[in-house]
Amino acid sequence: MITALAVAAPMPLLALQAASADVARQGVQHVAWTALGPALAPAVAALVLLAVDAVVGPRRGGGWWRDAVAMTGLLAGLLLVAPLGGEARATFCASPSSGEGVSANVACGYVASPLTLALQVLVLSAAVICLLLAVGQRHAPTGGSSGAPRTEHHLLLLATTAGACVLAGARDYATLAVAFETASLPVIGLVALRRDGRGAEAGLKLLLTAVLSFALLVLGIALVYASTGSLHLAAPVSAALPDLDLLHGVGLALAVAGIAFKLSLVPFHAWTPDTYAGAPAPIAAFLATVSKVAGLTAIVLVLGVGAPDLGPSWSRLAGALAAVTMTVGNLVALRQRTAVRLLAWSTVAQAGWVVLPLAGAVTPHRVPAAATASIGYLLAYVVATLTAFAVVVVLAQTHPDGDRHPLAAYDGLLRTRPALAAVLGFALLCLAGLPPGVMGLVAKVVALGPVVAAHAWVLTAVAVLNVVLGVAVYLRWGARLVASVPDVEPSAEPATARQPVGGATPSDDVSWVPNPAGAAGGSLPGGTATSERALGADVRTAISVPHGVALLLGIAGCVVLSLLPALVANPLG
Amino acid sequence: MSVLLVLLLVVPLGSALLVLLLPAARGPRGEPLVRTIGVSAGAVTVLVSLLALTRRPWSSTDAVLEVDVPWIPGLGARMHLLLDGISAPLVVLTAVLGLLVVVLVTSGASSPRGSRGLVACLLAVEGGALATFTAADLIVFFVAFEVVLVPMWAVIRWWGDPHDERGRRDAATRFILFTAGGSVVLLLGLLLVVAASGTTDVVALVSRQGDGISQPVQLTAAVLLLLGLAVKVPVWPLHTWLPPAHTAAPTAGSILLAGVLLKMGSYGMVRFVVPVVPDGFARVSPVLGALGVVGIFWAGLACLVERDLKRLVAFSSVAHMGFVALGIASGTPQGLQGALFANVAHGIITSLLFLVAGGLKARYGSADLRVLLIGAGGGLRDRSPRLGGMLVVGCIAGLGLPGLAGFWGEFLAVYGAWQADPVSTGAPQGFWRTLAALAVLGTVLASAYLLRVLRRLWHGELEDGAAPTEPDVELVRSAQGAPSDAAHVDPAMLESGARAAPHLPRDLRPGSRWRRDDASPVEVVVGLPLVVLSIVPGLLPWLLLATTEPAVRHLLAVDRGFV
Repeated sequence: MITALAVAAPMPLLALQAASADVARQGVQHVAWTALGPALAPAVAALVLLAVDAVVGPRRGGGWWRDAVAMTGLLAGLLLVAPLGGEARATFCASPSSGEGVSANVACGYVASPLTLALQVLVLSAAVICLLLAVGQRHAPTGGSSGAPRTEHHLLLLATTAGACVLAGARDYATLAVAFETASLPVIGLVALRRDGRGAEAGLKLLLTAVLSFALLVLGIALVYASTGSLHLAAPVSAALPDLDLLHGVGLALAVAGIAFKLSLVPFHAWTPDTYAGAPAPIAAFLATVSKVAGLTAIVLVLGVGAPDLGPSWSRLAGALAAVTMTVGNLVALRQRTAVRLLAWSTVAQAGWVVLPLAGAVTPHRVPAAATASIGYLLAYVVATLTAFAVVVVLAQTHPDGDRHPLAAYDGLLRTRPALAAVLGFALLCLAGLPPGVMGLVAKVVALGPVVAAHAWVLTAVAVLNVVLGVAVYLRWGARLVASVPDVEPSAEPATARQPVGGATPSDDVSWVPNPAGAAGGSLPGGTATSERALGADVRTAISVPHGVALLLGIAGCVVLSLLPALVANPLG
Repeated sequence: MSVLLVLLLVVPLGSALLVLLLPAARGPRGEPLVRTIGVSAGAVTVLVSLLALTRRPWSSTDAVLEVDVPWIPGLGARMHLLLDGISAPLVVLTAVLGLLVVVLVTSGASSPRGSRGLVACLLAVEGGALATFTAADLIVFFVAFEVVLVPMWAVIRWWGDPHDERGRRDAATRFILFTAGGSVVLLLGLLLVVAASGTTDVVALVSRQGDGISQPVQLTAAVLLLLGLAVKVPVWPLHTWLPPAHTAAPTAGSILLAGVLLKMGSYGMVRFVVPVVPDGFARVSPVLGALGVVGIFWAGLACLVERDLKRLVAFSSVAHMGFVALGIASGTPQGLQGALFANVAHGIITSLLFLVAGGLKARYGSADLRVLLIGAGGGLRDRSPRLGGMLVVGCIAGLGLPGLAGFWGEFLAVYGAWQADPVSTGAPQGFWRTLAALAVLGTVLASAYLLRVLRRLWHGELEDGAAPTEPDVELVRSAQGAPSDAAHVDPAMLESGARAAPHLPRDLRPGSRWRRDDASPVEVVVGLPLVVLSIVPGLLPWLLLATTEPAVRHLLAVDRGFV
């Protein structure tokens, strides 16, 4: 574990060094530190955490200050995004004249453009919620009073976040590769934090995947570098040799394959369900959001920024990946029995939707619109998925099966824990793209727009099928919230009503709750209301404060984006 | 910015939210509050829609009632709402039906789940439908079109037929999967139009009449749009979700489904296909017309052998909507006017029929046609004069007797098909006239199956004129759960209270002064406006036709000489 830390923590700095090393030969110029702020804040917080922990000792003191340092780092990153709006700022540029402002002719290693900032906000916000979810856990290893796992968890989370933030601004392949790896390796440590067989298996799967994915990415980058002679993303293919275009194409394809592991695009998805199910649920949420944002960032950079001219070729590749991914993801999700596994397959399916708009980039001038649409869908996906995961994490706290609780645990949740059920219901509707989850609906409109404009009819037919499949997947879960459960007799003592809902039998063949004999006037007996109230009080104490905040943030995000869907359509605005 | 138009949407949708979120509305003690909020929201909506009529939205093609504010700049979509002569009748119909169903569920049959969620869902469906009928932006239309899905799914899934849990679930799932799939296809068409024309505003698109959209794109867009909307209408062969949905849905759900939801599809065709991609539509219209006529026959034949009254009415909906599809397909002003008229008429008549069918099902646990045989000497009419009377009006209006609402719409639709332009549609005149002739034969089928119902109702006879056989009577007796003497209430039922008949209207529970096998006061209150509305448009058809005429002429660009 310590080795992992030693590797992970300095990674963000390495990324910066790589970028600066690239330009050092031409004379180092002024570094625009403000532009780097959002990425630096979590990295600095990670270092502070590591340093203080080394001094204080792992077992000394409570965990609160560690949480505070980590949270401060993430929030500071979000705050530092604010002054960067407006004109794009570049740094680590090949030309000494750069600094403020960016022009097409200058090759820079790091650019804080609207694209960068939007992705950084998304990464940092998602990391905040994941941190809240982890901190609110009642039991070790990701929460609780013992200090060591907490330090490691926060450190790894901050390192990943910093990597994803650097990735968003990376504009050369070296920075991209290092940042991508910084956003990948610490996650393995996070997954393996659960010190049991499942955790080890999940960690090992992820490790092998990450290594393979990195190998492909680096090989791809090497081929691209060989064909262009430059590490900068948009460098043109050299005309020195005749067949370099092919080399360039193969390089890009390999790089995309490497990144596809991270996005869990089919056929690079095999690790996803086991890893999600083996990791603690908050870490699974982190994998499903921050890691996916990093993956999409890399794809958009490599294809959209790096090779817009090849759009006609790679848009087909993206379309094929999207079609297969969403179909397989939805079909398998339809058969899942546990909540985390269903969400894991749902993230596979949604990754297909995230990549789908890229299939519309059939001409170079359509690339920006397609990339924007991808990020818009990603925004809606991240908010809705985080909210759903927040409910899963909270429910896992009280369920005897913990993170592995089956879907049956949600039967009748609307009656036993109405607030929780309402939050989950809304998130699922957003994922399914059905009003009142307008956010998800608009995201589907946004994602399909470029594909329809490109007249890719086969792909749209697959998308139509997947909308239907998706509705089936999410409503299958959502319907359980309202399903009737074998209810206790209202006259029975309230203690029975307080039993966790989890043990309930599948509701499918359960008929109506019989209307008790006294209800001639159509009124339900008063006892139900009181037992519900007692249950409500019980539930309120069961949700820890960080979890409560995470739930509130999640549902607030879903509601705000549903009321103001303009942001989904133009996430860079 | 029209306050009336904003109120029209905010009142039902806001009240739905209020009913769901107010803690005081929870549980059995909240039922009176739910009723107050629901009924007053419905009444205010009706009032607002009538106030909107006083502004005479049909008098000019310029928007009298309009809202236009930015919404999603990234997609170019604006929150553009508009009330004109085409939307006005449907808006009023929706508001009236919305009020009636809320009255029905809050005062009528109670469900073990309470009425809070049901009222919220019904109001949400009403609000979504009103938004659909007033949307003047393609994206707004699509979102509004989707709003009704989840509430209607919930209505079928949880407040549907209490005797058939599995059937309810299957019907609800089938409903939402079919319609969600249709909606995405519709979305593809809309996005194609947006991509080709560069605007989402339907006013601009109508005034362009397809200029600037190439012929192949128009054709593709028309196919996608019609395909998506045809699921909702539903046009044969995409109708298979409708009969189970109607069978499983509670009466209130069936009324909104038939009276409001199906209209969203046909309205969408008139507003968002015919004038937006006219060339493409003209090329596809022969297929639409033919499918409409097939639907008329298919559903008519199904009705001839159908044993369940609810399914029979559902299939007759498919047949009626076949006339609407034919009228729209004709592309003539008469055809479109007829389609819009038939839309409204079908909404009223079918609601009335579902009210009676639902009432019978609540009483006898089944809407099997054999329950119509119940009665001393004759049929149900003798035993339940009020219910029977409503059913008679519904049936006669449904078979298109002149002087009742069902006649004019179908007459004009057939007339429109007879007049259809062979040049623009690419189909010979003989084809259209054949369709028209076949559609007329379809009305004969409608007479046959509805008279079959009336015969049982009136005479208590089977088709061959024979008296009901013993098994039939047995079924009726067992379904009845009470001796056939009408005035007598079984004491056992009094004892067991609501348990025995939990789905009966509350005012018909044992102990009530009303005979429980005839219409309850609530059913009369809900049914009477529907009976009146089934008659008035038939006697005074110009009321509706004058409302829609200027808008239809505008949509078809008649004055610009395109037709």
